[in-house]
Amino acid sequence: MACLAASASGCGHEAPAPTPIRFLHTFNPDETELFNATIAERGLAVESSLVPFARGQQVISEILQTRAGCPDLIRIDATWLPGLRAHLVPVPADLAALDWTPEAAALGRLDGAWWGVPQAVDGLLVIRDLASPAPASTSIADLVAAARAARSEGRRYPLGLRVDGYWLVPWLRAEGSDLATGAIDGPNAAGALATFADVFGDVAAPPPPSGSEAPDELRRWNTHEVAYWITGPWQLGALRDPERVAVSALARAPRGGQLLVVPACAKHPDQGWRLAGELASIPVAVVLAQAFSTVPTRISALASAPPLARAAYEALRAAQMLPRVPVTPLLFDDLNPALAAVVARDATAEEAIEGVRRGWRRLVGAR
Amino acid sequence: MSERTSPPATSPPRSASLRWRVLLVLALAAIVPTIIVGVLAIVRARDDVQREVIRGALAHIRALGSALDGTLQDSRRTVELAAATWADAPDDAQRTQLLLKRLRRDVPIVHALSILDADGKLRYGDPVPAGAAVGSHSFGGYVGDAVHAEGRPVVHLVVQARGRTGELIGVFVASLDLGFVRDLLAAARLGPGARVVVVDGAGVPVASSDGGPLGTSSLAGKDPAVDRALASSVEGTLSTAGWISAYRNLSSYQSLRGVRWAILHQQPEDQAYALARRTTRDTLIIGGVALALALALGGFFATRLTRPLAALAKRADAIAAGNADRAPPIAGPGEIGVLGQRIDEMARRIAERSELQSALARGDRLASVGVMSAQVAHEINNPLTTVLGYAKLLAEDKPDGHPDRAGLDLIASEAERMKGIIGGLLEYARTPRQSEREIGAGTDLGPRAKPDAPPSTEPATVMRHVGALLDPQLKKARAKLVTRVESTTPVAIDAHALQQVLVNLVQNAAQAMTATPDGESSGRTITITAKPAPGGIATLITVADEGPGVPAADRGRVFDPFFTTKAAGVGTGLGLAVCKHLIATAGGSIELGDGPNGRGAEFRLVIPNAR
Repeated sequence: MACLAASASGCGHEAPAPTPIRFLHTFNPDETELFNATIAERGLAVESSLVPFARGQQVISEILQTRAGCPDLIRIDATWLPGLRAHLVPVPADLAALDWTPEAAALGRLDGAWWGVPQAVDGLLVIRDLASPAPASTSIADLVAAARAARSEGRRYPLGLRVDGYWLVPWLRAEGSDLATGAIDGPNAAGALATFADVFGDVAAPPPPSGSEAPDELRRWNTHEVAYWITGPWQLGALRDPERVAVSALARAPRGGQLLVVPACAKHPDQGWRLAGELASIPVAVVLAQAFSTVPTRISALASAPPLARAAYEALRAAQMLPRVPVTPLLFDDLNPALAAVVARDATAEEAIEGVRRGWRRLVGAR
Repeated sequence: MSERTSPPATSPPRSASLRWRVLLVLALAAIVPTIIVGVLAIVRARDDVQREVIRGALAHIRALGSALDGTLQDSRRTVELAAATWADAPDDAQRTQLLLKRLRRDVPIVHALSILDADGKLRYGDPVPAGAAVGSHSFGGYVGDAVHAEGRPVVHLVVQARGRTGELIGVFVASLDLGFVRDLLAAARLGPGARVVVVDGAGVPVASSDGGPLGTSSLAGKDPAVDRALASSVEGTLSTAGWISAYRNLSSYQSLRGVRWAILHQQPEDQAYALARRTTRDTLIIGGVALALALALGGFFATRLTRPLAALAKRADAIAAGNADRAPPIAGPGEIGVLGQRIDEMARRIAERSELQSALARGDRLASVGVMSAQVAHEINNPLTTVLGYAKLLAEDKPDGHPDRAGLDLIASEAERMKGIIGGLLEYARTPRQSEREIGAGTDLGPRAKPDAPPSTEPATVMRHVGALLDPQLKKARAKLVTRVESTTPVAIDAHALQQVLVNLVQNAAQAMTATPDGESSGRTITITAKPAPGGIATLITVADEGPGVPAADRGRVFDPFFTTKAAGVGTGLGLAVCKHLIATAGGSIELGDGPNGRGAEFRLVIPNAR
């Protein structure tokens, strides 16, 4: 202990402590603890800092622009990559040449170059209670119909769905639109919004207060109030009884993931890539898959992943990535309140979409 | 018992060793539990104190963090409500100013408050603080990182004001003064040497209970606890460099979207665990005292316990040295007392056996002497008879007054005495059967036993016969013989041998009483008693007189041949030796003691009963 305490000034003639790798990440609390434990087991000196996901892009953008406290490695959402690419360095060839799944490779590549090491693949899929019949197809219509058929006295709202622009994407795509500034101008966007809003109060429960969506959804699933749940792989690890779960695809669902990127301002980029390689390694990927059903990004890790994670991977293969432009993650800022207004019947879909259009135009104009 | 074994040279150390060993066992019995209990108590106390210190520290920072979080959340909710209200009528300047006024009043930690339009231009309130990124990529608003503006730590609260349709109307930006955190920490009741510090996401102190510098340099990379707190998503503890730190990453609350900071409770270990140290010290003192007491009591009881054992060892040594009768009786508790009694009994039996063996040895010697004496007496007897005969013949031929007459009478007299001595020697050397043939022939002591049959004699018969035999002598000596028969069990001794013994003893008694200083034995009694001996396997016959008794100095020698206390020419000194020889030959014993009531002498004969 004395030696540990004196480590700052050196203890005996031991070699100087290695410079810690500065790591900025957006892991959730449980993932953070597992990450810390994994790093400790591997004897890596890492100085990590948690960035809340909700402010991740803003905080990271500020850091990369000001270069103050620049980390050696950052874990980002894949949708942030186009906006941050100018501040990043490309992935070394040896890392890029690993056995990435096609979906992971699509995350890490942008405009033909590798900018991030894929750490996890996610997106929207359908979790079904095995006691309930599978929908006729992966389409939204069949899913809603199956949920409607599953309604009973104790299960008034069998479909789990969140009032969030990300969840709206399948509905937009089903109407020929998408989460894109140009697509929102089309005539079908309002229809998609209205159709989406109509699900709430029909087969999906009215939304809980803002900020409590995730725990409320999990509670309703664990108490069997929900038979079909549109969610992501990030929830699989928290399920109370995963053995009663079937994972399937949702037509036109969005797919994304998490990337490990090294900023251009990093003092020790090689160390950053080293840590990225560790986090994308087979053992770590398998540990994360076992603990949280995190979908691995490497083929060899996928083979060792538990069934639920592999099922999630299969369900996400047909999903489609969001438009890979810098503005994409910013669009939710206007879309979410509009969606909430329609679901709450404060506004019509047309009114809400019109406001979204103005907000997006303003956003594009500002950039 | 001439083969005496010297006491082992290690006897005293053996006793001491036993005491020390018992003491060692008792000491171990006291030390080991004391040490185990003491160590357990110390470890348990330290663990408990450590756990309580950590739990207390975590509870403290949870409470502080919750208070901090609650204050900011209340502020956010209030501003959000105001923003939603404002969005319904954004162009009403008067209402907007009133709203701002109310907000400043209801949210006292507001330092600056601005309302921007959807394009980010200031519409109402204070100028927008530098560094407050507003309006976009914030998922609807946030509480920003702590920054230091105008020498004070603040956070920027950004709330989007959206209309009924969700469309962005404007943005409320509030600078919240974190001075309340400082006040919160200052009011916290901390333990000795403890401090609480709140750092922002970069590790820069935002508030500190000890008034440390704020907003200057980051503690990240300098304080491992800060590094751990920022890297963690929950709470934990870290002990390093003599400090115990409890930390909680407030970002993990997730209730304030975006805020990044951590709160730490730090205290020097020596002060945090002072209670454990005191407990350790007290435990050591109490344990030491208890140990000393246990050892003292152990020593006391060890000594007490081993004392009888030491006595036993001493007694055993005395027995080995042939001094069994000199050691005091052993008293002790329980089994040790029983063991002492057994050893006493064993010593007594050994003494008896030793005595018996001595008697036997002495008897052998006397037998040898007797045989030799008989041979000598036989050889001397014939010439002596001749001398006596001629002396008497010569004396008869000399008239009274003849000058040779006195010399011849003296020769005859001395020759008679010599024959008496020789007769005694021959009697001593004779076996009882030889004696029986000569002494008992023609008496009424009962039918002769077969030569090879074991002897069996009723004491009462012999006692009556002795009385009749000695009646003339006793009358002449004016003494009275009393016989008491309390046992009619036959004894295993030849009747004539027993008669010879009793005759001898009664005659001695009569002579002793006659020889008293007053020279008068009239009315004095000689008592022969026969009664069962203790144990029931023998008969005790006593012959007691009321004479002067035997001096203690002579008692050990009265049974020796030729020892006599009578006047010269009276007795040969072989009577008692013959008595002892006859009794011993019958397997019995004879002892001399004081007479009843301490007067006179008493001979005690113990003769085995006949089967």
